[in-house]
Amino acid sequence: MTLEARSLARSFGRKKVLEDVSATFPIGLTLLTGPSGAGKSTLLRLLATADKPNSGEIIWQGQPLPAARRALRQTLGYAPQAVDLPEDLTAREFGLHIASLKGLSRSDADAQFAGILEALGLLPDIDRRIQGYSGGMRRRLITAQALMGDPQVLTLDEPTAELDSESAAAVHGLVMERAATASVIMTTHLGEQLAPQAVQNLRIADGKAQPVG
Amino acid sequence: MTVSTVTASAFGADLLRYRRSASLWLLLLCAPVAARYMISETEGEGISIAVGGQLPVLTSPVFGIWLGIVVSTLVMPVVFIYLRAGPTRRQPWQLDETSPASRIAIALGRFGADAAIMMGVLIALSLAGLFLAWMKVTGPYQPGHILLLLWVVAGPTLLAVAAIRILFDAVPILRGALGDFLFFMLWMASIIVPSIAAENGSTFANNMASVGGAIRPLMESAPPGSESFAIGTSSLAPGRVELDPWAGIGAQGYLASRAGWVLLSLAIAALAGLVYRPHKSKARTQRFAWLDRLTLRRLLPGAAPSSQHATRAGLGIVPLVLAEMRLIASGSLFPLLAVGAAAIGLADDYRHAGSPAALLLLVFALSAHAGRTEARGLVALTATAPFHPLIRRMAFIVAGTVLSLAIAVPAMMVHGPLHVLELAFLTGAAASLAAIVLAWAARSPFVARITLLIGWYAYMAS
Repeated sequence: MTLEARSLARSFGRKKVLEDVSATFPIGLTLLTGPSGAGKSTLLRLLATADKPNSGEIIWQGQPLPAARRALRQTLGYAPQAVDLPEDLTAREFGLHIASLKGLSRSDADAQFAGILEALGLLPDIDRRIQGYSGGMRRRLITAQALMGDPQVLTLDEPTAELDSESAAAVHGLVMERAATASVIMTTHLGEQLAPQAVQNLRIADGKAQPVG
Repeated sequence: MTVSTVTASAFGADLLRYRRSASLWLLLLCAPVAARYMISETEGEGISIAVGGQLPVLTSPVFGIWLGIVVSTLVMPVVFIYLRAGPTRRQPWQLDETSPASRIAIALGRFGADAAIMMGVLIALSLAGLFLAWMKVTGPYQPGHILLLLWVVAGPTLLAVAAIRILFDAVPILRGALGDFLFFMLWMASIIVPSIAAENGSTFANNMASVGGAIRPLMESAPPGSESFAIGTSSLAPGRVELDPWAGIGAQGYLASRAGWVLLSLAIAALAGLVYRPHKSKARTQRFAWLDRLTLRRLLPGAAPSSQHATRAGLGIVPLVLAEMRLIASGSLFPLLAVGAAAIGLADDYRHAGSPAALLLLVFALSAHAGRTEARGLVALTATAPFHPLIRRMAFIVAGTVLSLAIAVPAMMVHGPLHVLELAFLTGAAASLAAIVLAWAARSPFVARITLLIGWYAYMAS
């Protein structure tokens, strides 16, 4: 089970964000670090199939995308940095909708989602509408939906931004639990803190990815 | 994962969001209110619908068809605005798009929720229609006839609107102003084309040209020599013409065309899933970058790290208005289009050429800027600025009016200042006021844009 990026390049207009990024993402935690605007989120979006590279390939289980896109999506968890959450739904309704899109059974998803929310301290608010959620609660909710269905590839964009240390520790705990059997790729501003637990630390700068340490 | 599970989930989630939106109640009120003002009184007051230059005798079946016309004229753009700007516009796109679920299944589920809301509108109109008919119909009061004809005429129309909105949401280029404009054109065509098509024989193909579907039943049942049709006419011949809409409903190909529109709507919704393309953050300014080289934009100073600290700008009204003007007229295309509108203003009939051209440009520019500034996040930010948000909104109205006057300057020099000045002032001020009020209410540019486009059409055609 491997996810691999080969010579990925992505530009926006004339701005080249990623020029030549190659990396393999083994089971365990891969940290993406680097300065703001370096292209960490762009790389994460490419790996999560939310965007397409201008050139280069993403390989899943030995097969390149787009042929392997559906197979990858069936076992993918993605938590972007910002999501336009459906304000009128409760967290449970939102979680169940995402679960159905992932192909999870309703009863299993309900139980698992409640468990994840409990670990993240959101269970008391599971039947509250999202419009009443604070910034930190929304961030944890976005992470929770990504964890549903035990994804083999988990891509998280700054999952601990806006969180207090206790909530951040809860997120890290769940992420490391998943990293035992899945490939977890995460951008974070807490790179130094998590580096000892990561299997690799990739620094994104000047459009390229360089292993650190 | 089955397709039906995904469809059911998308349907359920969207329907929940609609049900919880306060604006749904306003929408449900809209159709009955429209019906109240579109059913002519005995004397022909209100918005008249004339066959052969005369009002029809308001029997129960004619009343049902008339309610259908209310839907295909007034209600159609309103429901599109609601669906387009409503609670389901904000989706967790990035999560949907990276899921393995079938896009067609999601699109059909969302279409189902939209269709359910449309049926809610139709039920509200039916109830109001039954009450109005009880007071107004000539001859026997036949609720069954009213409901049947209303639903045959208006049901497929509303399903088609729901399908079009799903399709427009699926294609990136139609998610913004172009989609709004295209719907406006479709709506105009849906009013004009059927009147022309109805003069040809009743066939399935001819009837499919009418998404509104209300004109054929009236025309086919008119006495020989009275086959002309008009909505909103003021020149009415005395007396009333007797119609038998049941004969019209049975006209060749009519009922098949209504069923055809139901199937076509489903097909459009499925097509929306098929052609769906993800949301992308594009470098929009790059698209017309070549235009910047032709305009003053290239003369703007670049960053100078060694420059002095900026002095505090004077917090006067004039700088605020100027800033609003710059933002309304932002974008590479605006200067060129403004020159074009000003040039059209040199034509003889300023009221029907230059003024609508300038207004059309302002409709897009004003609604875009108003929508940007009234977005929730930005309002929270600008509320802490030294100027009260109301002052900024007033500056927006002044800025829009000044831009309208500026575009009209060449026309003033050719046609004389007074007439042109009056039109430019009134259209600029009215459009600016409507844009900022509607953007404030909807927190987006959609409502303002479509409403102003409809207003623009009424202004141009009057």
